[in-house]
Amino acid sequence: MVAAAYLAKQGKKVLVLERRDIVGGQVVTESFGDGFTVDSLHAGGTLRPDIIKHLNLASHGLVVDSVRKPFISLQADSNHLIFDANPAKAVESIKRFSEKDAANWIPFLDFMKKATQFIETANSTIMPRLPKGFNLSEGMALAELGLDLRMMGGKDMMRIIRGIPMTADEFVDEWFESDVVKAAIASLGIHGLTLGVYGAGTGYTLMHTWANRGGMSHISVQGGIGKITEALASAVKSFGGEIRLNAEVKSIQVDTYTCKGVVLFNGEEIAAKNIISAADPKHTFLSLVGAMELPPEFVWNVQSIKMRGSVAKVHLLTDGKHGIPDGTVALAPSIKYLEQAYDAAKYHSISEKPYLEVTTSASESVHPLKSVVSIHFQFAAFKLKNGDWKTEGAKVENIAIDTLAEYFPNLKSSIVNRKVITPLDLEQTYSLTEGDLNHGQIMLDQFMFMRPIPGWSNHKTPIDNLYLCGSGVHGGGGVSGASGRNVVRVLK
Amino acid sequence: MQQLRYTPFHERTSALCQPQNWRKWAGYFVVGSYEHTIDREYWAIRNAAGLIDVTPLMKYMLKGKDAANLLHRVTTRDIQKMSVGQVYYTGWCDDEGKMIDDGTVARLDETTFRLTAAEPNLRWLMMNAVGLDVEISEVSDSVASLSLQGPNSRVILNRVCESNLDGLKYFRLMKNKLDGVEVAISRTGYTGDLGYEIWMDAKDAIKVWDALMEAGQDYGITPVGILALDMARVEAGLFMLDVDYTSSGHAWIESQKSSPFELGLDWTVALDKPGYFVGRKALEKDAEVMRREGSSWKLVGIEIDWVGMEELYAEVGLPPQIPGTAIRASMPIMVGNVQVGYASTASWSPLLKKYIALAHLQKPYYELGTDVRMEITVEHQHKHAPAKVVKLPFYDPEWKKK
Repeated sequence: MVAAAYLAKQGKKVLVLERRDIVGGQVVTESFGDGFTVDSLHAGGTLRPDIIKHLNLASHGLVVDSVRKPFISLQADSNHLIFDANPAKAVESIKRFSEKDAANWIPFLDFMKKATQFIETANSTIMPRLPKGFNLSEGMALAELGLDLRMMGGKDMMRIIRGIPMTADEFVDEWFESDVVKAAIASLGIHGLTLGVYGAGTGYTLMHTWANRGGMSHISVQGGIGKITEALASAVKSFGGEIRLNAEVKSIQVDTYTCKGVVLFNGEEIAAKNIISAADPKHTFLSLVGAMELPPEFVWNVQSIKMRGSVAKVHLLTDGKHGIPDGTVALAPSIKYLEQAYDAAKYHSISEKPYLEVTTSASESVHPLKSVVSIHFQFAAFKLKNGDWKTEGAKVENIAIDTLAEYFPNLKSSIVNRKVITPLDLEQTYSLTEGDLNHGQIMLDQFMFMRPIPGWSNHKTPIDNLYLCGSGVHGGGGVSGASGRNVVRVLK
Repeated sequence: MQQLRYTPFHERTSALCQPQNWRKWAGYFVVGSYEHTIDREYWAIRNAAGLIDVTPLMKYMLKGKDAANLLHRVTTRDIQKMSVGQVYYTGWCDDEGKMIDDGTVARLDETTFRLTAAEPNLRWLMMNAVGLDVEISEVSDSVASLSLQGPNSRVILNRVCESNLDGLKYFRLMKNKLDGVEVAISRTGYTGDLGYEIWMDAKDAIKVWDALMEAGQDYGITPVGILALDMARVEAGLFMLDVDYTSSGHAWIESQKSSPFELGLDWTVALDKPGYFVGRKALEKDAEVMRREGSSWKLVGIEIDWVGMEELYAEVGLPPQIPGTAIRASMPIMVGNVQVGYASTASWSPLLKKYIALAHLQKPYYELGTDVRMEITVEHQHKHAPAKVVKLPFYDPEWKKK
């Protein structure tokens, strides 16, 4: 959508094909019943400010909350650890767990600000196609990235570089001593991923998630996260672009490594000079283009992209008396707890003691008193050793509710309606291969110039005039719009 | 422990192999020569019929709706044009247009093909079959093969086969019964002579061998080892993987790789076939460069001048020394004091009475008739024997295709 809006703004003739009856893909607000309107997959999201500005999205109704709500780490004794957006308040809360950690909080925030700045710059840089070498403009962009890193000063630069391959546990361990504090922060390193806090590279993903959120907690969007994509759709149309719903692409037509157009499931053929796919790379290449049109090494690389989704969502419509505080509420009580929650995914099952991240919202429109509780559930492996996602959804639902009810006893009695989104639903309804929210795991061998695959990190593909954007390419992973903004720069 | 294996003909071949001259070929023991010299075996190929155990060839069966599509994608030939019973010689390339291997494809029926290769290619075939309805199986062990080569080969086969082979054209294949055994016979070979390759179930190997030896007794049938075959294939201008070119799969450096154009395989690269095939983009580019300025390298034949060589040997008081078998070694080729290429296999041709070699020459020295010099060692000293670029094949008897 971001790419479409940019291209339409440039005066290009743009057609957006959306397979569902609602635009936005993962960034949608949907209704699952009377008054049961939820942010289906993501509790919050912040498009990069330059995108909002370039596309003038405020004029299309996008209002981003200016006040960041707290990040709350649940404790059994209800003495929750609260990372308030006001650092002074956060320090007070951390003090209850460790004086030393409290003293380190503000220096840590400063460091994470620099890490964020680095990731922002990296995400604005189109990655060269290593090891094929790169041209001058790619080289310049890379040099700028290097300069940016250097400008942070030697110490922080080294610390960021060291942090990339570290485990989230090691990363937080360098700053904090309290297991409670460490686990809360480390949870960002595994959010949305099939990785444990003892996994190499979760140091990077911690910084990545932090950078995407702009901090620990989500920034919510007024009226639901779907407002982001609605605003983008409105921008596309205002620039003269066209959006078609219920128009699922069946295949991308290729004639000897040049793409000619697409064929929809209804049989319609649409010719196009350029095609940008925001579907995940595995789906794009193996289903839409087809392996026959692609070089064998490339196909092998695409087959090897690790998808491995293990997130489920449980949405509860309540009477508002659930007792859950406002903010981003995490069940991440200890480092070991998080790692053990991940073990389930490793062994292809469902965590009995899951890592949860919970947000609540008033469902304003119809029932002002009702409130939705949205639970992000990890880990629930896409590929189950025993059982089938056609029936296991109820199990996730029950574990999520039972676990959360231990902290909020009124939760169960407050529930009016419920909706579970399993990893299989993520694949079938939201077209995410293996239920992977990131269109490919963010791991050291699948990031930066190796995303989506080594040698093809600049949005281009072996098919002339076919480009990639979305979470699966560099800049992606998270609701930022970065890859959509970037792809426009490489389009011929 | 991975020991060299015996072919299904070993019981017969080992009994006949006088000098215990065994060679390794694709993990098998095969006979280098049956006698202490190879002359009789060589002349059997050219004057009568040589029977060669070629079982170690890598063999793959491709079966299914998309078998032709897989070969269309992998090889450079236009497989869709191939009729049932036809055999194509083909190379196949990586996506940079560099040769991986070469072999023959036989269309056994509409949806079944047999591919031969010099080296293992199963992984490459599997990698290219993603999303295709094709079953790929390696049948190198279960299918035994014999090559019967020479002017008498047809008459011998006609004596022992149920169906007459007179109508079987060059590079065609037929199903047949040989002494009651079901076989496939293709009019193919590696000698440039009239010849056939017989494909059978490994369990029938001995029976087929015996039947052929008996039927060929009056026609000079002679078991032939791969040393004599090596001489014959040089005369036929046929190159060999890992001797005359390096597979891109195990080249250490770029310059070791070859495009099919550099090997003179222009005629096998069907750039007019529709759609993508592996290496197409690079090969189109190569073809364009070739059209504009010619290939930078080319595989050609050279004839070493006998008189010139005699003079070099005369300097030390010797008559010319000629190796008894084909030499698989890299021999520099010069023009003036500049090296312009190298020969990769050289052999005395008993039939042509000439010392010949397969050579890789740089532009423009590969033009026919160019005078070059090939390095030889005369009494431990490097010398350069005068030679001339000639047309391949060196030997092309009229009965090869008749």
